[in-house]
Amino acid sequence: MDPIIRDPLDQTRRHFFQDCRVGLGAMALGSILNADRDVSAAATTTQHPLSPRPAHFRPQVKNVIFLFMAGGPSQLELFDHKPKLQSMEGQVIPESYVENKRFAFLKKDAKLLGTRRKFQQHGAAGAEISECLPHLASVSDELAVIRSMSTDVFNHGPAKFFMNTGYNRFGRPSMGAWVTYGIGSESRDLPGFVVLQSGPRGPRGGSPNWGSGFLPTTFQGVPFRNQGQPILNLANPQGINRDRQQQFIEAVNDFNRIRLEEIGDPEIATRIASYEMAFRMQTSAPELMSISQETPETLALYGAEPGAPSFANNCLLARRLVQRGVRFVQLYHTDWDHHGNKGTELGESLDKVTREIDRPAAALIKDLKRLGMLDETLVIWGGEFGRTPQGEPRQYLGRDHHIEAFTMWLAGGGIQRGVTIGKTDDLGYYPVEDRVHVHDLHATVLHLLGLDHLKLTFRFQGRDFRLTDVAGKVIPKLLA
Amino acid sequence: MAGLLGNPYRPANLGWPPRVNNLESICIQPLPHQNPQEPCFVLTVPVGYSVRMSDGLPAGRCHLAKGVSHRSHLQQLNLSDEVDTVTMSGNPIDHLNRVTRALACVLLCSVSGRAAVAQIDFARQIKPILVAHCVKCHGPKKHEAGLRLDTATTLLDGGERGPSVVRGKADASLLIKAISGTDVAVSKMPPEGRGLNSKQLALLKAWINQGAKPPADEVVEKNDIDHWSFRKPERPDLPQLNGKHIVHQAIDLFILDKLAEKKLTASPVAQRTTLIRRLRLDLLGMPPTYRQVLNFVEDKRPDAYDRLVDRFLASPRYGERWGRHWLDNARYADSNGFTRDFSREMYRYREWVLDAYNRDLPFDQFIIEQIAGDLLQNPTANQLIATGFHRNTLINEEGGTDDEQFRVDAVADRVATTGSVFLGLTMGCARCHDHKFDPLSQREYYEFFAFLNNCNEPTIEVPYDWQIKSGWLTNRERIRQRITKLEQQLEQQAGAFATAQQTWEQALPPEERSKLPGPTQEALLTELSKRTDDQKQLVVDVFKKSKEARDAFPEVDQINQLRRSEPVIPTTMVLQERDKARQAYIHRRGNFLDRGRNVRAGVPAALHPLQSTSDTPNRLDLAHWLASPDNPLTPRVVMNRFWQRYFGRGIVETENDFGVQGSPPTHEKLLDWLATEWIQRRWSMKQMHRLIVTSATYRQSSKVRGDLAAVDTNNKFLARQARVRIEAEIVRDNALAVAGLLSGVIGGPSVYPPQPEGVFEFTQDPKPWNTETGEDRFRRGMYTFFWRSSPYPSLMVFDFPNSNVTCTRRVRSNTPLQSLTLANDIQFVECARSLARRVQQESSPDFTAKADFLFLATLARRPSTAERDALSRLFQQQQSAFSADPIARQQILGITEDSTDSHADNQNDLATWTAVARVILNLDEFITRE
Repeated sequence: MDPIIRDPLDQTRRHFFQDCRVGLGAMALGSILNADRDVSAAATTTQHPLSPRPAHFRPQVKNVIFLFMAGGPSQLELFDHKPKLQSMEGQVIPESYVENKRFAFLKKDAKLLGTRRKFQQHGAAGAEISECLPHLASVSDELAVIRSMSTDVFNHGPAKFFMNTGYNRFGRPSMGAWVTYGIGSESRDLPGFVVLQSGPRGPRGGSPNWGSGFLPTTFQGVPFRNQGQPILNLANPQGINRDRQQQFIEAVNDFNRIRLEEIGDPEIATRIASYEMAFRMQTSAPELMSISQETPETLALYGAEPGAPSFANNCLLARRLVQRGVRFVQLYHTDWDHHGNKGTELGESLDKVTREIDRPAAALIKDLKRLGMLDETLVIWGGEFGRTPQGEPRQYLGRDHHIEAFTMWLAGGGIQRGVTIGKTDDLGYYPVEDRVHVHDLHATVLHLLGLDHLKLTFRFQGRDFRLTDVAGKVIPKLLA
Repeated sequence: MAGLLGNPYRPANLGWPPRVNNLESICIQPLPHQNPQEPCFVLTVPVGYSVRMSDGLPAGRCHLAKGVSHRSHLQQLNLSDEVDTVTMSGNPIDHLNRVTRALACVLLCSVSGRAAVAQIDFARQIKPILVAHCVKCHGPKKHEAGLRLDTATTLLDGGERGPSVVRGKADASLLIKAISGTDVAVSKMPPEGRGLNSKQLALLKAWINQGAKPPADEVVEKNDIDHWSFRKPERPDLPQLNGKHIVHQAIDLFILDKLAEKKLTASPVAQRTTLIRRLRLDLLGMPPTYRQVLNFVEDKRPDAYDRLVDRFLASPRYGERWGRHWLDNARYADSNGFTRDFSREMYRYREWVLDAYNRDLPFDQFIIEQIAGDLLQNPTANQLIATGFHRNTLINEEGGTDDEQFRVDAVADRVATTGSVFLGLTMGCARCHDHKFDPLSQREYYEFFAFLNNCNEPTIEVPYDWQIKSGWLTNRERIRQRITKLEQQLEQQAGAFATAQQTWEQALPPEERSKLPGPTQEALLTELSKRTDDQKQLVVDVFKKSKEARDAFPEVDQINQLRRSEPVIPTTMVLQERDKARQAYIHRRGNFLDRGRNVRAGVPAALHPLQSTSDTPNRLDLAHWLASPDNPLTPRVVMNRFWQRYFGRGIVETENDFGVQGSPPTHEKLLDWLATEWIQRRWSMKQMHRLIVTSATYRQSSKVRGDLAAVDTNNKFLARQARVRIEAEIVRDNALAVAGLLSGVIGGPSVYPPQPEGVFEFTQDPKPWNTETGEDRFRRGMYTFFWRSSPYPSLMVFDFPNSNVTCTRRVRSNTPLQSLTLANDIQFVECARSLARRVQQESSPDFTAKADFLFLATLARRPSTAERDALSRLFQQQQSAFSADPIARQQILGITEDSTDSHADNQNDLATWTAVARVILNLDEFITRE
């Protein structure tokens, strides 16, 4: 079996400091931030479950930022330009396309719908991007656009689980959990996998999207709220200031140390370390969230406004998170579910959501590049599926869920820059070149992190499970 | 038509080709016949092929093998269902003019004897070929690609790529394509060695073209895997020990025997203070009280411990504690899951579980009522409620879903859950293909599936007895009659109502309209004549709320008032067998749309046989099969889970996989002893609990021993007790209990204790959460309302199951988020305050007594000298801090208004003890069962 696989029951028995009687004054608390001490002290025992671990081979990137466009963005309005579809607008889609296909809402005789958006080629590579995304178009030479993504399921909940866990039902670990399970996290005072959310509502399906499934809970995503306390129970109770909280942590650990000496259970040592990290988190998480520390230029680049939660703020936070060594950051932004009702049409509603994400997503790439971090970060943009070439017979312009072909893009370390991969047919219905399945995307993401998707396994119920289930192949065309 | 040349039936000189497309599939076989009344040949034609007769056959002389009604005059015969066989009697030559030219050719060709072959015998002619070339990879031991070719039945079932033959169409059959190397997706078979020769291939094709009939007497042998857990447990002899040992139960003999074998010795018995806390946490999920600890420590009677066990097992808290373990298995939750995740009412099922444990319902009955309570004779309301076990599956209420897809998914979840919970088998693995390791084929999976595939899923009203006795139902009926009457009165004024509504609509100011929900606004914007029924109803509903409607039609208010006064009767979700069973199929690759062969309900051949008197066994038969004393797995699996709760890990560590890939038992004989003992004791759960917790093995100290570290790091052999963190809901119950806050109310609907703000930001719809203010604020954690998409955070942080799929073992993590919860969550601060009050009020005034009280109340022991010193230092440190900071003092005590100076000393003392209590409630020991 793979060397990084560990006994699941042993996963909690980490962090056994040999010298557990080090006094925990202010000095000692400060010294925990000093990584050296930890490494030497932990030498006699197993590691902390989140401490960084070597990958299978040399990684191309260290961290991942996944901009999850919840609801399913319309590739036909944004990235996949189809003049033929335009000219066939109003015709019933040829039966050969939809034979034996099922849709959430559409009937077989739905009519084709051309886009109302104008497309143009951008950058040296000439990527075709619509007028909806002018800022992203300006960084198009950094992107690898995949126009031939495909997935298996067409309802939001199951499709989100599929994109996140490689399985359309509950119970499997999410990509962020697999990654932190595989290689831990560089951050010493923040969780290894952080989830942020913006838009009018939370993502459908909720916590299983960033759950750890059958992996130890340590690896599940931790939601950071963008108002109030970022982490639940982060703030001290009323009447407890920072000094008193420190006294409290010291006292708890003093008593725990007495018990450790008496009983000798390394679990107690882990508990001591957990309290130390919790205390550090109480400082580091609010510090992380206070984006007002950023320069006005940076804030303007993203369009971020301290105190006004938005996708822009979250993109900036994502950068701050990976800067602090957090391994996997996922940003959910709602809502892209443009069926064609009031508030869900491809007109103003699409304008609104593209405006919300365009500048910040482009800014994230520029900012990472400017800081020299783009080479070690992977940025992923996309939703759980795309939208149909057929329009929906609703009050306004809209499209149904489409799983055969949709667009995602990647940028960052190890990724080809300024390429467009995959091609769809004239209607944008099926991929005709380089189909990239969700499992393939997962395999590629793990590959960039130095992980072999075939080897990153966890034994559960008598079987070695993988993120890519029984499929998935790395897409060489995406790799630099 | 590549195969045409090789067709042995090709009648080359007879005016070929006729108007028949697939020549390969036509086959004819003469039968030995003496008199003209007997069938003289069999004609096989392909799917969709029509046999056209120029005139009718005499009645009684045309036999259609299946599916087509017998008629005397057939002008056209459409054989639409697979390949069929037409048998005609008489002299074939006589019939020549009665069939089409095409068939005539075939007939002529055939009867002339040039190409006639006899019916091919699978067992004699085909199987040897397959055994020689295929079965090594596609046989009973190994089914590569889910394909097993050693029997015709499994060959026809096919594998992951679908059926391996199309009956009657050899060239369209995957098997033939694979062997010929003409399939795009499958490489030429066999991949190595000499393949089939042309004669063998021709024979195989001919068999398929003849309809690929399996031998009538074919038996699909079960995979000959001899695995310990599939054998019925035998009562083992008790081990003989040398030397002196503490032995309380037979269990100890097995443990000590193994320890001796490993040259290890057991640990001494734990201290009484540890024992009572361990026992109470394990059996009841609550800590002992201060008084209980002291009484037990002073109880000098020899059976003091046994008395304690009996007392605890008689407590209704036992049902809550062990019932909650069962609810993990049952994936119990209060909402439907998936994206919308609306609430559901299932608490009567939860109550049923608690009650079943408390009255020690024998486990076989416990199984039967949950799997098939509705199928028992004259089932009681409780037996119906019990079937809620399999109603805890998720329901997807998202728009645009296919109901059948999610129904099938729910049934699949029931199969997987039944497999994990009762059999310890990973049955879910066989949904898409044969199980890779265990003797469980995909066909057997769907046979098992068929048992659970025939349910309606109603929600029924289940009033409590006291509600019935106090006339709730009749009262409600009376109210409903009055409502009906009022509605009729309204109906009589329909014209006036419609006019009033129109007037109201026209006068409705836009700003009022914009406040209405989206769909209602849309309905209002739609012309009256174009509104759908739903839209009409939406508008009527809004209009009825208006002052105009209420003034003009007093019935509206009267009806509303009556509706509000209707007594609310609890409901619950149950299973109900359909009158007519659904046809079950093999779903190829687990895809519900891709139906393979029909299957009938059945159990895996590797396990004990199903006892059923019916041709069509149902869920009740399945329940009896599970609850049978012949079942080799269930008693072992459940006893192993009991063991796991008490010792941190099971005798079989992979408690949800007793299959070939599972880990072997550390004490196989002990597990068999427990399993057989349980059945002897008529499946009484309480008796087995008593056996285990009174054993010397259970009573050992859990202190970590240096001498074990190298030889038994994971404490598999139990030379000491395990030291385990308590479960999520118990973490909070424990704190509430020592604070004196815990509510004793048992059962009822779920409750909404305080939770941090912002919990629902990450869900599609914010969930209602009306934080309790009364006693329900302090109910046991198991009663906390569980939203699947956004569960109660302090439960989840301590590894509470997500309740989407069955959970048979909790993870025990140890994370900083747990520390934050214990340290800062308002609930735990409330507990610290309340505990501080107890310290002040319930113990004598000197510090030592208070320190002792605090430790005894929380950790069930007195502090050591070092601990007392540390407490004292902490107390002084906090005391001086709070006396210098009156605002902090009031804040930690949650006092908002200015308090009078006269209470300052008392306040200071209380704040100090609150800070001290907060430390104790955060100790590792406090959340650990030692």
